[in-house]
Amino acid sequence: MTLGARDIEKRFGHRTVLRRVNLELLPGEVVLLRGANGSGKTTLARILATVLASDRGTVTFEGRPVRSQLRRARRSIGFQSHRPLLYLGLTPLENLDFFGRLAGIPEAGVHARRLLGRFGLEEFLDAPVERFSRGMLQRVSLARALLPEPKILILDEPYAGLDAEGSATLNDLLEEARDRGAAALVISHDVERVAPLVTRECVMRGGVLEDGSMDQATA
Amino acid sequence: MTLFHVTAKDLKLHARDARFLATLALFSLSLVLILSVAFGPLFQDPAREASATLWAALFFAGVLGLTRALDMESESGGGEALRLTGADPFAIYGGKTIANFVLMAALFALVLPCAAVFFDVGNLAVLPALAGVAALALVGYAAWGTLFAALARGLKARELLLSVLLFPTLIPLWIGAVKLTHSLWADGTIEAVRDWVKIMVVMDVLGLALAAWLYEVIQEAEE
Amino acid sequence: MNSRIPAWWSTGRRVLWAAALAMIAASFWMVFARAPVEVQMGAVQKIVYVHVPSAIATLLAFGLTFAASIAFLATRSAIWDSIAAASCEVGMVFATIVLVSGPLWARSAWNTWWTWEPRLTTFLILWLLYGGYHVVRASISSGAKRTVSSVLGIVLFVNLPIVWKSVQWWRGSLHPQAVTMDQDMRRVLLFSMAAWMVFFVAAFQERLRLEALREASEMES
Repeated sequence: MTLGARDIEKRFGHRTVLRRVNLELLPGEVVLLRGANGSGKTTLARILATVLASDRGTVTFEGRPVRSQLRRARRSIGFQSHRPLLYLGLTPLENLDFFGRLAGIPEAGVHARRLLGRFGLEEFLDAPVERFSRGMLQRVSLARALLPEPKILILDEPYAGLDAEGSATLNDLLEEARDRGAAALVISHDVERVAPLVTRECVMRGGVLEDGSMDQATA
Repeated sequence: MTLFHVTAKDLKLHARDARFLATLALFSLSLVLILSVAFGPLFQDPAREASATLWAALFFAGVLGLTRALDMESESGGGEALRLTGADPFAIYGGKTIANFVLMAALFALVLPCAAVFFDVGNLAVLPALAGVAALALVGYAAWGTLFAALARGLKARELLLSVLLFPTLIPLWIGAVKLTHSLWADGTIEAVRDWVKIMVVMDVLGLALAAWLYEVIQEAEE
Repeated sequence: MNSRIPAWWSTGRRVLWAAALAMIAASFWMVFARAPVEVQMGAVQKIVYVHVPSAIATLLAFGLTFAASIAFLATRSAIWDSIAAASCEVGMVFATIVLVSGPLWARSAWNTWWTWEPRLTTFLILWLLYGGYHVVRASISSGAKRTVSSVLGIVLFVNLPIVWKSVQWWRGSLHPQAVTMDQDMRRVLLFSMAAWMVFFVAAFQERLRLEALREASEMES
């Protein structure tokens, strides 16, 4: 399954945040997106994840506009952002079980338990998420995104707040996803942590997307 | 099934927020008290005054409940994640509406005895009919309230807007509720005012129909 | 929206305003010089020549908002949203005229400023609802503004028949059901209606123009 951005433009009020951005995510790819703060990376991620609508241009899913197959596309996309995207009053297990069931995963609870275990959260399964530290919250959030084993991953600063173990688990899961034929877009400043997995790199500068190789790692 | 999962999730979240539930209960009771004082100490037409008090209190307490339900979705992006599961928007709406209905029903169960006692009206015989009236009114309240709440999400003066928009819209429903309740408490029957049942049913159906048509559009409007 | 307002609009609007103001002036002249003074109420009855057209204009305005809102959701073309908003604002003005002229008439006819009779009550509700439309619209700065406004424009209008019916049931109708008038009065009323319709169109296009200019300046910066 592929996800693409075609001539995406986005403005917030008077500010143009994205200018004619084109990007294609192909199976087996792990694309690293770098760029300065405020360059539009998060906005692009949100548009690709269908959270936000672009002003111009289209997001394509398997070659066709995503707006005509919104629900199908969303079932295939796993999105993780700055916000936890969780219900604070529920436990991690309840959160994942809920989202898993809605995504149509059979025996969601079992899978949830296992995934949360991989992130080292076995002992915290029954505590409401609002009490969690930032790092723990990040792990639950990632687990939520990865639970349905989506064909397309869009991760916005996934390493933020993660310790070495958490990062290792994430990398394992990313690798498994890649081997499964999933496509991933990773936005990160933590270039070293994700470097082993990256197949392609891009840089966002002032709303414009440029290809970048790993050598130009100055930004 | 999406519908029931959403309802269960909402109710679970409400149940865990004891502080909010206590606030809501106290607020409703205060409203009943204030209106009792305003009408009292000698009540000219207890059935009528009690009926008015009951439904006024429920309306405003309900706005608080609706806003809280809304906030639970937006505070950490749970609602965004919900949208991204690709679940049927109308099922999500349905689930939330049922949860809001349950909350309102609980409020009703709390406020009703208080109003009945303070104004010294009512008897157990009319309780089933009263429950029916409440069901009609509260289904409509939940249906329209959930719809408007989704529209008002992200706005700073959410409660204010919800009240300003919801009350005029629900006037037909609320007049009906007050009239039917009054009739039950005064005469023990709704014969004289049974036409209002029709209007209430129309309002309920209309609210649900509009949601079926427009909820997906509202859900996709960016915050 | 095109940032350049077409030339015919700029010239046309001057003609329109001239016509509107001329017709309104003419209708006022007719009201005072030609329309017979009503036996029971005297001169105050003449408020009806403003009150009735305003009421009709209000409903037309909100009906247009309704239609334009649907059009926006169907086409996602910003012009429809601008039409809906402009129409709603003009509608509010007319609704206010109804709510002010009504009590003035009522004071003379029924010796009370306000009465909870159906039409006035319904108009008050209308006024509140569409006032809410504007408040909501002003509170949203994000891209959701148009969508939320359109949904409101639809939802509020659909509700009107029920509000009207239920308020009618709630309180018997004191309000004259049909305006019983003789020939001369009817003629003046019809002319007044025409005059206020032209005014409506003039005010509406003015508001729409303002909206278009504002959008254009926002796009260019």
